[in-house]
This record gives sequence, structure tokens and C-alpha cells, in this order.
Amino acid sequence: MSDVPVLRTEDLGKRYGSTWALRDCSLEIPAGSITALLGPNGAGKTTLLQLAVGLSRATTGQLEVLGLSPWADQETLLPRVGFVAQERPLHRSFTIAETLKLGRVLNTTWDDDLAVSRIESLGLRLSQTVGKLSGGQQAQVALTLALAKRPDLLLLDEPVASLDPLARREFLGTVMEAVAETGMGVILSSHIVADLERVCDHLVILSHARPLLVGPLDELVACHRLLIGPRTDPATVARVHAVIHESHTDRQSSLMVRANGHVYDTCWEQHEVGLEDVVLAYLGQRHGPAERVLEEAVR
Amino acid sequence: MIWVGWRQQRWETIVAAAILAAIAALLIPTGLSMLSSYNNDGLNSCAGALQGGACDAAARSFIHEFDGIGNLIAWFTLVPGIIGILLAAPFVTDLERGTYRLDWTQGITRRRWIAGKLGIAVVTAIVAAGVFIALVTWWRTPLVRVQGRMDNSVFDSEGIVAIGYALFALGLAAAIGAIWRRTVPALVSAFALYFAVRLFVDTWLRQRLVSPLHATWAVNGRGPSLDKAWILSQVPTDQHGHALSLTVLNCSKAAGATCNTAVPTKGAVQYFQTVYHPPSHFWPLQSVEFALFAGAAALLLGLAALWTARRVA
Repeated sequence: MSDVPVLRTEDLGKRYGSTWALRDCSLEIPAGSITALLGPNGAGKTTLLQLAVGLSRATTGQLEVLGLSPWADQETLLPRVGFVAQERPLHRSFTIAETLKLGRVLNTTWDDDLAVSRIESLGLRLSQTVGKLSGGQQAQVALTLALAKRPDLLLLDEPVASLDPLARREFLGTVMEAVAETGMGVILSSHIVADLERVCDHLVILSHARPLLVGPLDELVACHRLLIGPRTDPATVARVHAVIHESHTDRQSSLMVRANGHVYDTCWEQHEVGLEDVVLAYLGQRHGPAERVLEEAVR
Repeated sequence: MIWVGWRQQRWETIVAAAILAAIAALLIPTGLSMLSSYNNDGLNSCAGALQGGACDAAARSFIHEFDGIGNLIAWFTLVPGIIGILLAAPFVTDLERGTYRLDWTQGITRRRWIAGKLGIAVVTAIVAAGVFIALVTWWRTPLVRVQGRMDNSVFDSEGIVAIGYALFALGLAAAIGAIWRRTVPALVSAFALYFAVRLFVDTWLRQRLVSPLHATWAVNGRGPSLDKAWILSQVPTDQHGHALSLTVLNCSKAAGATCNTAVPTKGAVQYFQTVYHPPSHFWPLQSVEFALFAGAAALLLGLAALWTARRVA
């Protein structure tokens, strides 16, 4: 696996009519990483993934996937990218065997043994009709189709959104197994934070069509703190650290900060935070501090 | 892509085949009985013979016998269009349900997908329309010898125009569907539009596609041969071919001295002018009409392909 970033964008923007679905998007995701694309509905996650797989064409800016342009180099890039679209569209009247045949005839690279053995290991029969499978089984069939291409990059758009917790765990387990075997990169979008902390090592938070936070998940979580102290104006803290989110009661203030080094001010009680706290802090604030943080975060 | 296209179009192909089979089930037995009665009535030996007498009567009773079913078959002219619209359904359904995203993110480009998908529909439409034409043409063989095939109600089920109709309907439904991306409303509105266009062409445009012949002839003399021709109009005229006005006609009937017109009214009507398409105009008319529909179909299919390639994400 080379060191070419799986995804690199520069001022990427996509406009539908007069609405920007994605804008000012500059980020780089290194090879071999498993990236969570987080954000509320309508944040631009689907737009970014569809641009990355060449389903739509950027309005502005640069976009490279595995060093290639998804729109211009479609024929060389498509065989290297596995994609499962939102709501995992499948031909409902097809049997599983026919779905696999579709993959075989429409792909230049196709591992039929892998596909068939994966279907068997899921306890499914090739003669079953896709439309009659459960949501979790359909997700697994769609994933099989994407994996049998032996892709270098797997893009999953809200793959677990409509699944129950058990199916969600099984699905992500399958993804992780495949990653362990092949070392491929994965970008998966979600608006559910819970499952991702175990799975992902990179994080992109999108909100209102813009990226708010990009980086390795460990570092990002580690550099955020929750400060709790007597009620004060956070201005002093803000001079050194970036205040992401603040909330005040009559007697105390809690600040979520992206710490710039150590917090020495002893009047603050410091707490470690989890991924979910960080994500909610970023999504909880709309415009304001995030815009300032953005510059720094992307760098 | 060819396998995928066929597989996605399987249901529509079966329905189209079933429609054609139903038509065949009606046409083949009645066609055979018509053929045998044509031979038994001795009409075979009448062909090309002088009109009048026993042949005329036999022909009249023969036509009368198969009038009912002939009227029914006139409606079959909508079948190629219906099949064409039906064949656009898999294309539009993929756009509506989002399954095109699955196909487009495998290893082939969307251009090849669009070409394959529409190409298979086009081929199927041509084959289906061809089978339809073959069936109706075979069925009408005895009738053609008696009646010809210039009549508006049968012209559009013979020759090649029906292939144009099927392609036009397919293109129309595909273009509307590409833009609207809703299968049922797109197909229904495509059918309404198709019907309107056909009505316009049948009733107004077709007769103007090739200049009709004009013939002015004396009532007592020999007129042009209008046997099996498509007569557009036949009016009483003066000897120069100017149509006689109603007042003149009334005057001649009354033979009245009170009429004060510049036209001499010696006797009754003496001349007729006929505007008509002789049977020899069949292929020129077919070719021009086919070219119109096939050309429109090509434009519409191009629009559907371009719109899908550029606008759909």
C-alpha cells in the first residue's frame, strides 16, 4: 500500500442550485486509515462521498482520491474504490446469485470466491431474493459487492444507520476483518457516534456543509478537555485555548476547550473527554468559535 | 452490461411478448379464416379485373364480413407505442429507486451504462414493433388486395412507421423519466403526449407529408383510377378545376333563371376535382413519417442520455 493519501481536497465545493451542499472543504486523509465522517443530517457527508466516488462533479476546488480525479479518471479509479451508497440500493428482484453476477460483469477486478464464501459464511443462500432479506442482510450483501472488487478504498455512506445494534456490530465487524486482511482505507459516514470510537482512527466532523474538525481520532480526543470552575468569563482561557463550547449555571461554568498545551490555571477542574463529548461540543455550537477553530484544525 | 440490461428489463420484455402473443392469438385464427373465405369467394380471380358485377358484390360482402374485427385492429396501432413506453420503465425505475448508484459505482462508466440500458430498450422496441407489423401485415394480405393499404386506419400498422412510433414513445418516456425520475407519472404523461402527437399526425400532418395528386375530370368521361387510393377530397368544379360555390350548385339544381352569377350553369355538375394519394404514395409517405418519428426519437433518447450523464448524481 502506497503513501498516497486516500482522500485529499482543497477548497472543494458542491452547489445544488443556490445551496452549497459542501464548501471550503480542505482536508487530507492518509493512506490506510479508517475515517469516520461525522455530522448531522444535511451536513454534507453524502455529498463528499458521492464526489469521492465520481457520482457527482465538484462545483469548485480540487479533489483527489488515491491520487486520481474521481470524475476525470473514472475508468482507472472505479475498480479501486468500493462504495455502498446510502440506503444501500440493490436490485430488489435480483437473487443474491444475480447480484453477484452483476458485480462480476460490471467490474474489471472481481473475486468471485471471496464473494461466494462471504455469502455462505453469513448463512445466506445464493438463491434468495434480495428484496426479501432483512435490512442487516441486505447491508451485508451490499458490502460483499463492494469488497469483492478488492478495493484499495472502501466508502460507506451511513452503512449502519437503519440497522439494529446487533446487525450494526456484525456489519462493522465485517468491515474490520476485511481491513485487517487487506489494509485498505475506509471512510464511513454516520450520525451515530457510539460504534465508531472502537472502529475508527481518523475523524472528520462536518457541519453546515463545512469541515469543523479533521485529524487522528486519538490526538483530537486527547487535546480536548472539559474545564469546570466557578462562574467566570471564559475570556482568560480563550486567550490561550480554543473554547469550543461553554455552558454556565449560576455558580459554575463548564468549558469544552481544544487545549493548546497544558492548562495551568488551577481554578479549573480538568476532565478527560470521550469522542462523543467532543463531537457533541462541535455540533452543539453553530457559528462562532468553530469558524476560528476550523483554520487551526484543518492545519 | 448487456446481461444486466436484459435482467433488469426481464419483466417488461415478458409483458411485451405477452401483448404480442395475445394479438397473435386473435389474428392468426381470424387471418386463416379470412384467407380461406377469400379463396372460396373467388376473389382471388377478381384481383385486377374490371370492377363491377359479381366481383364487386363478392368484395363488398367479404369486406363486410371482416369489418368488425378490422375496426378492432385499427386500435392496435397504439400497441407499438405502448410497448415503447413500457420498455423505458427499467431505465426510469433505476433513476427513481437510486439503484443506478449501485451500477455506476461498479467498474464501468455511466456513459456505458446509459448506452447499454437505452440500447437494449431500443433493440427490443424495434424487434417488438417488427413482429407487430409482420402479424398485422400478414393478417391484412387478402384485405389489401381488395381495399389497398392507404386508408388512415390501416396505414399506420403496416410498412415501417410503427417502428418509428415505438422508438418515439420509448424516447419520450425515457426523456421525461430522466428529468422527472418518477416512473408512473413519467410513463403516463409520456403516453398522453404520444397519443396527442399521433392524433395530430394521423388527422392533419400525414396527408401533407407528400404532395397529393389533383385530378379534374368530366363526370361523363373517365376519371383517374381511384382504386385503393386515399381520397382526401372530391368536389364539383368547373372545367378549370375551380370549386363551385354552394349558390351555383343550388342554381344549377333549380335551373333557375333568377340566379345571377357569372358562372354558366348549363346543366348539372359536369366536372369533379379529386385530391388523393394513389397507392404508389404508400412508401414515400411511410418513409417521411418514419423519418420524422425516428428523428424525434433520436433527439429524445439523446436528451435522456445527456441529462442523465450530466445532471444525475
